[in-house]
Amino acid sequence: MGTLNIMVGQAQGNVPVTILRVEGDIDAATHKSLQDKAAEVVEGGATHILLDLGAVNYMGSAGFRAIHAMTNMLSDEASSELSKSPYLKLLNPTEAVARVIKTLGFDVYLDIYQDRDEAVGSF
Amino acid sequence: METPLTSTENRIDTLKNCAFLRGLEKSVLSKLAAGAETLRVAADETVITRGETGSTMYFIVSGRARVHDGEVIWAYIEEGEVFGEMAVLDSEVRSASVTTESDSLLLSIDRAVFYAALSSDPNAFKAVLHAVLKREREIVHEIKTRSTTLLAYQKELEIGRRIQADFLPASVPVIDNWEVASWFEAAREVAGDFYDVFKLKTSPLLAIVIGDVCDKGVGAALFMTLFRSLIRASSLYGYGDSSLAKPASNEIIGSASAILLNSILTTNRYIATTHAGSSMFASVFFGLLDTQSGKLSYVNAGHEAPMIFRQNGEVDLLDITGGVVGLFPAANFTVETTRLNEGDLIFSYTDGINEAKNLDGQQFGEDRILKAAAPEENNIDIFLSIILDAVRDFRGEAEQSDDITMLALKHLSSET
Repeated sequence: MGTLNIMVGQAQGNVPVTILRVEGDIDAATHKSLQDKAAEVVEGGATHILLDLGAVNYMGSAGFRAIHAMTNMLSDEASSELSKSPYLKLLNPTEAVARVIKTLGFDVYLDIYQDRDEAVGSF
Repeated sequence: METPLTSTENRIDTLKNCAFLRGLEKSVLSKLAAGAETLRVAADETVITRGETGSTMYFIVSGRARVHDGEVIWAYIEEGEVFGEMAVLDSEVRSASVTTESDSLLLSIDRAVFYAALSSDPNAFKAVLHAVLKREREIVHEIKTRSTTLLAYQKELEIGRRIQADFLPASVPVIDNWEVASWFEAAREVAGDFYDVFKLKTSPLLAIVIGDVCDKGVGAALFMTLFRSLIRASSLYGYGDSSLAKPASNEIIGSASAILLNSILTTNRYIATTHAGSSMFASVFFGLLDTQSGKLSYVNAGHEAPMIFRQNGEVDLLDITGGVVGLFPAANFTVETTRLNEGDLIFSYTDGINEAKNLDGQQFGEDRILKAAAPEENNIDIFLSIILDAVRDFRGEAEQSDDITMLALKHLSSET
């Protein structure tokens, strides 16, 4: 199984936000390392995650499944009745990834930001 | 660091307990032990690499290693066992890679040392030959077992393929003034793509559905049957509204919206809650067509935009009206409407078309579909085969990596 480089950062918005910056292609071979890292930070107490996709040139359906699994890890009773996850947001997808997000309509389910500070402040 | 193998006696003990060298005289074992070298290898280091030449065999004193080809693991080698002996005996390249599973202590013996030691005793070659043949018999047995298992799996998969074919329409309905054509080609035995065309039982509407479940293979195929069945079951008999039978077209469109929304919302909520842990989703285009007026109401849930080729040469894309189905229970979808006038053709497809890749890694793309399309063709089957030929020409020698599904309808001109 391939692995992704994932850097974990913290930022303070209205709540503490964990930033996961991913480098590499998120596909069938690598998506698990993203899911595992997310599980690790959630286990460590993270409640709000900003997923930085600025260095991801390709994301296949396995990547979208991993993102859904992350929203599941973070969800609670209040969020499960919302059409958008309040706990997971995306930052700065590359053009190629933004195109797939749009085709699949994932922008309907997740907020996407271009600016890091604005994203952190939105939580 | 002190190893347990500093003395020749200890090395002899290790070698004589190895099945491969069983039967060798102590004098031969002593020569091997004297010429052997000890080697400490950390976990996850590749000791021999498939395809390379090598003249050394290794005995595991402590630790464990896997025999593999890339990600495929063939066997594990345990303490007291040998690896790399084949290339030493026949001077061919390594037939597989061997990587340590844990920190390991190895004894390595070079070809020159091995043959020199064996030539000192005429019975030694016989003993090694015996050991090699014993191992070969074991390998033949293993291959036979695996082949039998593989055949059984293939048979199961073939049964799966036949059952899955039953989840696609055996034939498409015949409708006055309309031509309908479809194409379905799985990349593997079973597929995640699906399409459906059926007349509603309670109204004159025609349902057209095309979908693509994420992922491939058996997992996608199981969910394909679920998505397809939920959509059909939740729409076939309309949606609890007696006005469905009324022919006034505005009411049919209103009802069509209700049926579409109920069907997609039901399907989405069911899969997103019942199978939440699977994170499986599908992109779905679901349209209800009033074949009298040509009005088409639709939901496009994260699917490649179907194309309407207008008789006047214009092309309209039916962009998404919601996200993919099956992930978020509270998802919302919108119904849009358009009209298929006489001479207009709607073409829907899955990403096996637009994402077909050639050997250079380029994708076929939406633009090439538009360029290849010949909506003026009188026969809609030919329309589909022209697109398919263009995709295959573009793909060239590259393999088909995804399922291909196409569904097209044409509103015929009444004077033709």
